[in-house]
Amino acid sequence: MNISEAKKLKEEAVIKSRMMAKKSNEKLNAIVTLIEDDKCENPNGKLANVPIAVKDNFSTSNIRTTACSNILNNYIAPYDATAIKKIKEAGAVMIAKSSMDELAMGGSNLTANIGPCHNPYDLKRISGGSSGGSAVLVASGVTPLALGTDTGDSIRKPAAFCGVVGTKPSYGRISRYGVIPYASSLDHVGYFTTNVQDAALALEVLAGRDDLDMTSSYEEVLEYSKLLDYEYKDLTFGVIDNVVDVLSDLEVKETFLKLIAELEEKGAKIKHIHFDNDLMKALFPTYFIIANAEATANHSNLDGVRFGVSKEGESMEEVMINSRTEGFSSFIKKRFVVGSYSLFEKNQERVFKKAQKVRRVVCESVLKELSKVDVLIAPASGKVAPYIQNEEKQDELTDEYLIAENHMVIANFAGLPSITLPMGFKDGLPLGVNLTAKAFDEVGMFKCAKAFEDLTGLKDLVKEV
Amino acid sequence: MEYQMTIGIEIHMELNTKTKMFSGAPYHFKAEANTCVNEVDLALPGTLPAVNKEAVKKAIEACTALNLKIDPLVRFDRKNYYYSDLPKGYQITQQFHPIGRDGYLTILDANEVKKIGIERIHMEEDTAKQFHLHDLSLIDFNRAGVPLIEIVSRPDMHTAKEAALYVDKLRQIMSYIGVSRARMDEGSMRCDINVSLSLKDSKSLGTKVEIKNLNSIANIETALNYEFERQKALLENNEEIMQETRRFDEKSQTTVLMRQKEGSVDYKYFPEPNIFPILIKEEEINTIQKSMKELPDVKLERYQNQMGLSAYDASNLLSDKELSDFFDEAISHTSNAKLLCNMLLSEVQGLLSKKNESLSTSKLTPQSLAKIVELVDTKTISSKQAKEVLELALDGEDPLKIVKDKGMKQNSSEDEILKLVLEVMDENPQSIADFKNGKDRAMGFLVGQVMKKSKGQANPALASKLVKEELAKR
Repeated sequence: MNISEAKKLKEEAVIKSRMMAKKSNEKLNAIVTLIEDDKCENPNGKLANVPIAVKDNFSTSNIRTTACSNILNNYIAPYDATAIKKIKEAGAVMIAKSSMDELAMGGSNLTANIGPCHNPYDLKRISGGSSGGSAVLVASGVTPLALGTDTGDSIRKPAAFCGVVGTKPSYGRISRYGVIPYASSLDHVGYFTTNVQDAALALEVLAGRDDLDMTSSYEEVLEYSKLLDYEYKDLTFGVIDNVVDVLSDLEVKETFLKLIAELEEKGAKIKHIHFDNDLMKALFPTYFIIANAEATANHSNLDGVRFGVSKEGESMEEVMINSRTEGFSSFIKKRFVVGSYSLFEKNQERVFKKAQKVRRVVCESVLKELSKVDVLIAPASGKVAPYIQNEEKQDELTDEYLIAENHMVIANFAGLPSITLPMGFKDGLPLGVNLTAKAFDEVGMFKCAKAFEDLTGLKDLVKEV
Repeated sequence: MEYQMTIGIEIHMELNTKTKMFSGAPYHFKAEANTCVNEVDLALPGTLPAVNKEAVKKAIEACTALNLKIDPLVRFDRKNYYYSDLPKGYQITQQFHPIGRDGYLTILDANEVKKIGIERIHMEEDTAKQFHLHDLSLIDFNRAGVPLIEIVSRPDMHTAKEAALYVDKLRQIMSYIGVSRARMDEGSMRCDINVSLSLKDSKSLGTKVEIKNLNSIANIETALNYEFERQKALLENNEEIMQETRRFDEKSQTTVLMRQKEGSVDYKYFPEPNIFPILIKEEEINTIQKSMKELPDVKLERYQNQMGLSAYDASNLLSDKELSDFFDEAISHTSNAKLLCNMLLSEVQGLLSKKNESLSTSKLTPQSLAKIVELVDTKTISSKQAKEVLELALDGEDPLKIVKDKGMKQNSSEDEILKLVLEVMDENPQSIADFKNGKDRAMGFLVGQVMKKSKGQANPALASKLVKEELAKR
């Protein structure tokens, strides 16, 4: 069920979606809170009666918002995030708050306090994260649209593993107000759909300036879904060779290169881009430092004093210490330690500020290459979704991991619009490709994505469980 | 040996804005606890800061009044620490790029003009207020997020008096230009003082001691004088002065130890990612500066040079912003500045203090005081009658109506008063004889009798002139 099919079904779509959600969740474990009483508020809206899932870090009034962390297990926000207001005004109906890595700090969805989320293509495999629940609910046909957030590649990686379209528009395109942050300068609101047309339509609803988010943009919101016409000859794709070069799975590599060749045959221009390989290897550590530094401050409000799960103590200070000690998993605490370490006065120059400098260098070199092409293109991951059991064993220091599994963070560093869509299958498991365009050139990004989608014919993929 | 204090002062001032620094929640210092609070002030997950333009404008006004260079690129940073009165777990402040740098103000210390340097002014947000009862703590989040400026002086002061004059001058300037209520008793102006003692003429400074909890200007002076003696005694006994934070104790009028400084806290400052740098155009800064309210020093000069008030009267008016605001409003309705000033400083103040009231609690309006001044100025009523009118006007009655109801018009008709004068003369031959025998007081008695006969309405000057003339004739 894509968005236009859901709109045709009207109220039926919502009923069907709720039934599927209940049925499939036993296997998928993608839902934190099932929402049974939400209704369409605008029957004439662009998303009238469209069932949607919302990552559990979007504040929803009167519905629990836990970010899959124990410290927020009882938290009910008294207000709606701006993105939630906008989808409601467009007539969408919330079906579920979806699972995620704890506080969005992860890429596997294994750190959710409700346990792992399962990939519908193979329940033994991960969904990817941190927006795993939303990816899985769209992939399994429960909803045609689901909101997520993307700080490193938290929408675009799970989209690749689950065979759906994952969109992260430009920084400032969609308001972040009301979204529980991970790292403010890298966080983006985005979403999952089953095709590019729906992705373009969803942006029309979600985008726009919000005075409550000073980083949101005044840039005009276009009717993206009506601006998808393209001719191959007008499109230039820049292949990131650094990524292709490190792929060890030859099937993935061939799938990608074959599609590039086909694009060229259709008349599209192909350019090859070589970034400094050291810079590419620095992406992950740079990201890790900046994201965790911002995160340690961003999550200092979670202290059990004003909201959330509060643990008893002799003094206010003890309440705060006990609440935080018991409220976060060790994985989160580890990241807070890293973040704090990089911000200490004696380390800041050497760690945090250096990471900021590397980020600037990355942005400069990416913008330089982007000026020659419409989009950068590379496989979203070098692999199919890993097994849940094996996830912990990944070697994080190989070039393949550092480059192929982390290159999408470039779009977060520079605030660029970026989209992942299916490019094929390996052993029945989806493979994704990623396209990244210039800031606020969502139109260019969607056109290239549509051209790629038309080439593969891989759209509206649903794997019911 | 002769010692000298070196004093630097940090002042936190609440900006007088309708809403908070980074949220749209209203703020009033008298509001009931936790009623001026929204989701941003409580740092609920997902909330973001939005800079209050009015607060930035007021910070620019403060910088202008104190001659600081303004940084047109407004940037904010995070200061990280955990405390239950700090909802976000960090305070948004301007550590790296304060809005203003390098300014000064002047104080008048025993007729000597002294320039006190101001290192920086930066914007930040206030914390919540905590109340620790014996078995529980209460938090009022009304104050959380209230806009503040921190004004950091250079260590240019050397006596308790200078420090007190500096703080008082800041208070006066900020309240006059409407940047802050600047009330130490309400907490809208808070003062931390760094003081060290060294030998006079010595180039190196002594160990710095910080004094907190100073809630009046008098306390600043008392605390510094005490600290001077305390530190001097230690030095003279060859004892070490510890780097520490002390608190002024109201009861004993001394400073007492709060805590010893153990290595400074690492606040892990970094730029606030949720607020992009905001560039304020030069024209915008100029517009703000041009529309600023008059500085007290300028006003003082205007009172003296344009209105002809004495230096004494002018500074009396300025000593209280309420008084000078009232004067400024009233003067637009009458031209006799001296008479207005006299009535305001003596009659009005006198009556108010008798009734235990103030200008703000009484119903007297600047317009009605101006009307009374006009009535006297045009000799419509006598100054004696004016007092009577004023008493009723304090309760909100219209002076013109009072005069009409009481039939109070001053009689300035020479014929009518002369008639009364002749009557009085005829009735009091003894007084005339006394006057002729050199008893000047007799004339006052005769004038008084005329006034009495006229039921107080005779123009006293005229009555006195006619009595004098008539006495000469007899």
